[in-house]
Amino acid sequence: MSMSRKIKGAVTAAGVVASLVAVNPTFVRAEEVTLTMAVPDWPPTRIMKKFFDEQYKPKSGNTVKLDVDFIPWPDFYTRVNASLTSGEQKYNFIVSDSQWLGAFVEGGYFRQINDLLDADPDFMKTFMEIHPNPLNAYATYPHKSTNYYGFPQFPDVLVNFARKDVLCHEAEQASYMAKYNKKLPCTGEELDAMTWDDFNNVGEFFRRKKGEMLAGKPADDDFYGIAFQAGKSYDFSSMQINGFIWQMGGDVWDETKVPNGQAEGVVNSPEAVKALEKYLNLIDYMPPVAKTGTMDIFKSDELFREGKVAMNIDWIGLGEASLDPKSSKVSDKLVVGMMPGTMGADGKMVRWSNIGGQPFVLTTWTTPQQTAEAVEFVKWWLSADIQNQFAAGGGQSAIKSVYSDPKYVTYRPWNRAWAASLDWQKDVWHVPQFFELLTQQQDQFDLAITGKQDAKTTLDNIAKFQQSLLTEAGLIQ
Amino acid sequence: MTMHAMSAIEPTSPPPGVLAIRADNWRLAIVAGLALSIFAALTLPASVSFWVVGVAAAMIAAAFVVNAYRRRYYGGLLVAPAIAVLFVMNIFPLLWSLGLSFFAYQSNQQSIRFVGLNNYIKVLTNEIAAPGNWSALVNTALFVVLTVSAQMMVGFLLAMLFAKQFPLRKYLLILVLTPMMLSVVASGVFFTYYYDPTFGILSYVMNAITGGQFILMDSKAGAVAGIVFADAWMWSPFVMLLVLAGLVSVPKYLYEAAAIDRVSAWRRFWSITFPYIRGLLMLALLFRTIEAFKLADLVILLTKGGNDTMTISYHLIRIANEQNKTSEGAAISYVMLFMVIVLTNLYLYLANRRNQES
Repeated sequence: MSMSRKIKGAVTAAGVVASLVAVNPTFVRAEEVTLTMAVPDWPPTRIMKKFFDEQYKPKSGNTVKLDVDFIPWPDFYTRVNASLTSGEQKYNFIVSDSQWLGAFVEGGYFRQINDLLDADPDFMKTFMEIHPNPLNAYATYPHKSTNYYGFPQFPDVLVNFARKDVLCHEAEQASYMAKYNKKLPCTGEELDAMTWDDFNNVGEFFRRKKGEMLAGKPADDDFYGIAFQAGKSYDFSSMQINGFIWQMGGDVWDETKVPNGQAEGVVNSPEAVKALEKYLNLIDYMPPVAKTGTMDIFKSDELFREGKVAMNIDWIGLGEASLDPKSSKVSDKLVVGMMPGTMGADGKMVRWSNIGGQPFVLTTWTTPQQTAEAVEFVKWWLSADIQNQFAAGGGQSAIKSVYSDPKYVTYRPWNRAWAASLDWQKDVWHVPQFFELLTQQQDQFDLAITGKQDAKTTLDNIAKFQQSLLTEAGLIQ
Repeated sequence: MTMHAMSAIEPTSPPPGVLAIRADNWRLAIVAGLALSIFAALTLPASVSFWVVGVAAAMIAAAFVVNAYRRRYYGGLLVAPAIAVLFVMNIFPLLWSLGLSFFAYQSNQQSIRFVGLNNYIKVLTNEIAAPGNWSALVNTALFVVLTVSAQMMVGFLLAMLFAKQFPLRKYLLILVLTPMMLSVVASGVFFTYYYDPTFGILSYVMNAITGGQFILMDSKAGAVAGIVFADAWMWSPFVMLLVLAGLVSVPKYLYEAAAIDRVSAWRRFWSITFPYIRGLLMLALLFRTIEAFKLADLVILLTKGGNDTMTISYHLIRIANEQNKTSEGAAISYVMLFMVIVLTNLYLYLANRRNQES
């Protein structure tokens, strides 16, 4: 190429750039912005990343990259906690369990978002469309205050996964009717109407040894009626037991009553003791692993998918695997209802349950430019179109206009139980002492689950510990 | 003339005076470094004084290196990198955590204050914190006794077996050594399913034999047995390797002489074999005791500390890493370190006394 042609080429290129700049003022300002995110590795976060890569177009004209660190669930807290406390300031976004808010807000890691909401009426409008129970659980610190910190990434509740092939079988129906003088719950609506006493009956009814008749043919392995979480690690018994306690008129230490709310006398109230006894009695009817203290949410889900139990109370977040024939022997036999409730004195069902799911939060070191892009991303994520797509792909939405839409219940078998369950969700312990409260409680529940101490001793020990810890922390006077 | 020759000083030449400003004056470097560190710690913010103390330590190290170079202490210079790594990776964190144990500090909070021995008093006597620590310590002692005994016995018997020649010995030896080479996580997951009462082969076989429902991990005794078996499965080959090394080193002529004298098998073992392997057995005992004292991985994988199987190491992980109680965790660590040092020295004392007796 001659020198004159090179010069001509350079002049032409410069002209093109100059005209682009003149025509589109944003051209020269477009920048690459990376949002780094720590998330647990499971379908709800994989779907979010997929949607982002395929569909998200930032309005700013910047090139926004979502750099997602998928961390296995068992390591998730440890990795996030280590990252935050080490000061590496790696993540802009973190998917956080709601109970971590207190510890990480007080540590100075999670960013309050009230200013972002106040500055953007559209954002505020979308935010206020979130159902109040998940909003309080995922966003507020102190709990139920108007200090906002998080947005729902994947809201979740406990539901009853069941096998209609076994439950609807004529012979089983007749036999159950003969024994309990009640219909064996079989449809979604019948599951919704179940109390824990009904759940107990199902557990007692379906205890079949290998070779005994089950749904018209010999069982190929031991079969059990019921399962729910009863594991020692993380919160894999507390999240179930809290529901029992609230439904039966008891309470846990209530952080919204600081500083007057007590632990002793509340945590170990007679109602709470009765509720824990009820929970423990049900374990007798579960697969034997429940007696080892290792039946966490993953194990009970595995037992259900392997066709070993008729009903399993578990988080919706684990449900996708039940629908996939590659990972589930019951994929075509699934029926889902609300978690059982307790019949109140007024004849109305009481359904309190501990909310699951996670918000995602912004960190305090996120730059203004990253924050602006993050807000746009969150608005896109919470938009009705994306939330519908998310729900259709296996996620859930806490946005009222989305889950109220009639088509919402057609996405997945458990969606029919979603909206009604949201009204009955509570949350616990958005306080910095959360992990101490949780580990001690889990230790004590494990001793009860494995038969080493009774319900009263267990709750007395928990109440004593909490009273001491929270008094020392100034949360109880 | 080279630079080396120019700067070299005879090793026997007297050291410079304490106040002489020279690059090789390590005495002055220590005095200046200490003074600077104390001044920085007392007057500057922690985030600045940390680096000032680091620079002071580097200055002292540099003075030692220059001194060694000029006086041709090449041996010292050669090990200096190793000492530097040891200091940065081991000794410094050890001293740092010792310091932390005298403060009230949580890694997820920004405040820190001096509390003297309070953390030690708390972890040993506080009515809320101490019972968990003591219970975990008792469990740890139980695991130390059971796992080490099982490994020593199985390892010793395996070594006796593999000291002999038999068909397929080479291949069986590889098989026996395999558990030691597996990651603990892989072994833990394997045993989780092995013990599982619904999916596991152990319960399947036991149910077939007894006709009942066998659940190994539903009691403390069963859970402890499960962990001990898994640990022994993994680490008995290590003991076997050490003992085997001792067995193959016994001169053959001793056995031949014993055979001529018609010495009994027991006497042959006690008088010829055992003296050769005693040292290695003590070594295996020492290594495995220290490791067993730190047992956490298998407990996490198999029981999560449930069924009253919490060990002190796992308890420490929860205190320091999950609950972020850094100072309290440091205090527990030092109590553990003290116990391991006492135990180790007891072993070494016993081993030396036996050696002297023989």
